[in-house]
Amino acid sequence: MTFFNKKENRIHAALAILLSVINIYIIITLKPPNQAQGIFGNIFYIHVPIAWSAFLLYFAVMVCGIFFLIKKSIIWDHRGLAFAEIGTIFMFLVLTTGPIWAKPAWGHYWPWEPRLTTSLILFLIFLGYFMLREFGGNPEQVSRFAAVVGILAFLDVPLIFLSVKFWLPEMQSHPQVGQYFDSASPTPTYLVLYSFLSLLVIASLMIRFRINILTMKDEE
Amino acid sequence: MLLHLILKDLKIEMRSKEIIASMFIFGLSVTLIFALAFQVAPVMIHTFAPGLLWVVILFTSVLGLNRLFSLEREEHALWSWVTAPVDRGLVYIAKVISALIFVLISVILFIIPFFIFLNLPTEFSFFQFGLILLLGTGSIGCLISGITLQAGLRDVLIPILLFPSASPVAIAATKCTGFLFENKPLTTWNFWLLILASFFVIFSLFGYLVFNKIVEE
Repeated sequence: MTFFNKKENRIHAALAILLSVINIYIIITLKPPNQAQGIFGNIFYIHVPIAWSAFLLYFAVMVCGIFFLIKKSIIWDHRGLAFAEIGTIFMFLVLTTGPIWAKPAWGHYWPWEPRLTTSLILFLIFLGYFMLREFGGNPEQVSRFAAVVGILAFLDVPLIFLSVKFWLPEMQSHPQVGQYFDSASPTPTYLVLYSFLSLLVIASLMIRFRINILTMKDEE
Repeated sequence: MLLHLILKDLKIEMRSKEIIASMFIFGLSVTLIFALAFQVAPVMIHTFAPGLLWVVILFTSVLGLNRLFSLEREEHALWSWVTAPVDRGLVYIAKVISALIFVLISVILFIIPFFIFLNLPTEFSFFQFGLILLLGTGSIGCLISGITLQAGLRDVLIPILLFPSASPVAIAATKCTGFLFENKPLTTWNFWLLILASFFVIFSLFGYLVFNKIVEE
């Protein structure tokens, strides 16, 4: 029985497509909030929610890692791997949309801005995580060690963020984000939250699909 | 028991001198390459020196400590101490301490040519420098020990996993060393030292806590 034969999965997929089509339509047609940045300013509505989702997914990898080490049930290993894979796709999107936005906002593609740098380092750690999964050797040990790397990666986040922040004190941490969250006009806040929600629906669909495949592989 | 485990590593090293010799020679050759590569602008080297120092320390640590841990993989020596009636966290701590001793000895050995080759001024507090070295190499050592004690892990994976995770340590240690080389008073950069110390505490505690989980079968 394949994944999309189940009714609830088909509904989930349809919901994900519907929400994201509406989301993309809103973002494209929306009047840019900042005239100087032009249409690029709208990338905020996709970049920031993707970044939130990516960090949330990596946080989930850590939680799965902890549960795997405690309960030693293979399902937590599958969940951790699925979260890590989807999280890395999202992180890649963060690292793509970030420079696209940074060019009109700051004038160059890669500012060593704390959040962007933290994302890059986290992304690199997770590339190592997949190398480990792929070439690590004994599968049982690899699962255990991957859980540890997943925990270590997220523990590293506050450390990296703080040190990069102090490392280049002249580099402000996203001054652009603040201008969108204005209590006088709450519409951008709602739009960001909506975008975040639709991304979470997509992410959860991808994760369930991935876990389904991993479990099937196990049963074979 | 802790002492016995550390002495065992030191005794093996005393007899073979393999790890410290290879780390020292490797550090020396990397320093030489740096000195040659940056000779075009001798003024620049003073700004680069703290970064270079930590790059050399990271590279040599990976090289040398990998050997220290692969000793345990030969003939499955790992299992003999996993089954020993001692707390496994203690085994981890012993490995970290012997790793720290090896790194510090080789750093002390190649730091003299490092300063001579790069013509660096040496008017700074050696006590503070020692503290930075201890905390920085300690955090790196904890990370490497945690990563490398995984029996059967391929060698190529160690730097891939280590370098990104060690990047906050590299930033903090480089900053500390930079301020020290510029002879800035401790009060202006003591928070960097505190950050470095907190890395040391976090990474060692993390290693101690998860080590039991990693090796159990």
